[in-house]
Amino acid sequence: MNALTLPFRPLGSERIDPLLVVLWIVLVAIAIVWIAPFVFIAFTSLKTTAQIAQTSPFSPPLTPAWENFSKAWARGNFSSAVFNSTLITLIKVPLGLFISAMAAYSLSRIEFAGQRLIYLLILFGTMIPFQVMLAPIFGVVNDFHLINSYVGVILPYLAFGVPYQVFILHGFFKEVPRELSEAAQIDGASHFTIFLRIFLPLSLPVLSALLILDFVATWNEFAMALVILQDNRLWTLPLSLMSFQTQFSRDYGQLNAAIIMTVLPAIIVYMIFQRYFVSGLTSGAIKE
Amino acid sequence: MNGITRSPLVQGLLLLAPALIVYGIFAFYPMLDVVKLSFMKWNGLTPTMQFVGLDNFRDIFTIDTVFWGALRNTVIWTVLSLLVPPFIGFVLALALNQRLWGRVALRAIFYLPVIIAPIAVATIWRWMYDPFFGLFNQLLAGWGLANLALDWLGDRKIALYSIFAGSVWQTAGFSMVLFLAGLQNVSQTLVEAARIDGAGRWSIFRYVTLPALRPSITVVLILSFINSLKAFDIVYGTTGGGPAQSTQMLAMWSYTQALQLGNFGNGSAISVVLLIVTIAIVIPYLRWSLRQEEKTR
Repeated sequence: MNALTLPFRPLGSERIDPLLVVLWIVLVAIAIVWIAPFVFIAFTSLKTTAQIAQTSPFSPPLTPAWENFSKAWARGNFSSAVFNSTLITLIKVPLGLFISAMAAYSLSRIEFAGQRLIYLLILFGTMIPFQVMLAPIFGVVNDFHLINSYVGVILPYLAFGVPYQVFILHGFFKEVPRELSEAAQIDGASHFTIFLRIFLPLSLPVLSALLILDFVATWNEFAMALVILQDNRLWTLPLSLMSFQTQFSRDYGQLNAAIIMTVLPAIIVYMIFQRYFVSGLTSGAIKE
Repeated sequence: MNGITRSPLVQGLLLLAPALIVYGIFAFYPMLDVVKLSFMKWNGLTPTMQFVGLDNFRDIFTIDTVFWGALRNTVIWTVLSLLVPPFIGFVLALALNQRLWGRVALRAIFYLPVIIAPIAVATIWRWMYDPFFGLFNQLLAGWGLANLALDWLGDRKIALYSIFAGSVWQTAGFSMVLFLAGLQNVSQTLVEAARIDGAGRWSIFRYVTLPALRPSITVVLILSFINSLKAFDIVYGTTGGGPAQSTQMLAMWSYTQALQLGNFGNGSAISVVLLIVTIAIVIPYLRWSLRQEEKTR
């Protein structure tokens, strides 16, 4: 590492810029504010109700009340919620990405009449917040007699995942050089084979980015699950947390343990796959 | 392989079909269905529904005592969402684009709330606002400012803004990441050239950085607009629209009317109002972004 890449030196200079040092101190202060809620939640989750009343918010739990976690787990029926969330996410995310990728391939690499219109109709979906349409979504799922079923929530999840993924992958597939697919076509391969053997492996980085983003979005989804999964045996983690909050809001320690159990999987995935988040968000959104 | 499956059209449609069918039925059709439902009287359970013309719209505009308050709150929420988190995200991105120690870790911290479930953000903030043991009133008491302690979510004058603070915490990192990506497009040679020509920090920002960020600014604003209409979970999980409907918003009022009160007609009419506003803003943006896409071809 040479002096030019050291921190606090502006581009092309070897001197420390005092303004950058001040800026850094301000940023660190804001970062502490930003992370304070997490510290507060983590500390509270390990305190008994008496400790919460007596100690200050940021005093660490010296005798951790681990039982908050096991009690919240049992009272909030979290084993069933974790199972439901995991099952729904594991089916929805890979399946959704696969059908989106096929559609994006079809719309970008095969020419047929009307595909521009279809692409625009799908693109339109990236702009419509489904939270606005919970009543008709309930109506459609109800028409198929799928209220209170895994399929009933997975199908709308798939539907609302398609637009953004098709948009990103369409942009990516379009850039793949023609020669790659033409050579295979001359050898007699079908489009499905070309898609499977050439385009999917080629787009692994984009697919991983979309996979991670979709995992978090599906894991966190609340409104649609609220409308479709009314039977509490089918509840996902967000629904269970909400119910826990309403029922046991005075058991502060356990409530905070429940919060941690709900958000931890997403945080772990984020920690491991951090760089994919940024590329997934920006690969399609920002282009000049 | 026989002749039919060799045709590009058939192959194309087969690949397209699964996504298109599921999107068509469960995402696009509801958009049309909500318009139909807005002209109907229906409780969501009976097999038949009754056509009532524009009655539902008349109801929500004239009889519904909550609608206008919810509309007002939605407008306030949307305007604030377009101003505050993008501005914070912008400043954070500019700062984190400098050569600073530990900037990767700092970025990760600011982005962390983005990946948390909105309903968990609601739970976290509701607990921090707890009048007795919550973080805010405890801190104020600890600093000897107990007289400033407020009933953050129980006071109708401030409840909406209290919820919005949670939303800022959750969404600023999202704008930041998009702006950071946009900053990668700022030509370093241009910055360097301007510096050698004697341009100050402000001039470089004003005449080099800012123009290069224009596409990012548009994208961030449009995404913030759409996300602000999605403000459902955070309200549901903090106040449920209370106290006395003072934090009610259109998306949640539509849900409440249709699925809680069994009045699908009124609920759908509210959704239609929201959809029309959304489409009016989104269509010009889509045309703009398609033009951008064509330019890069």
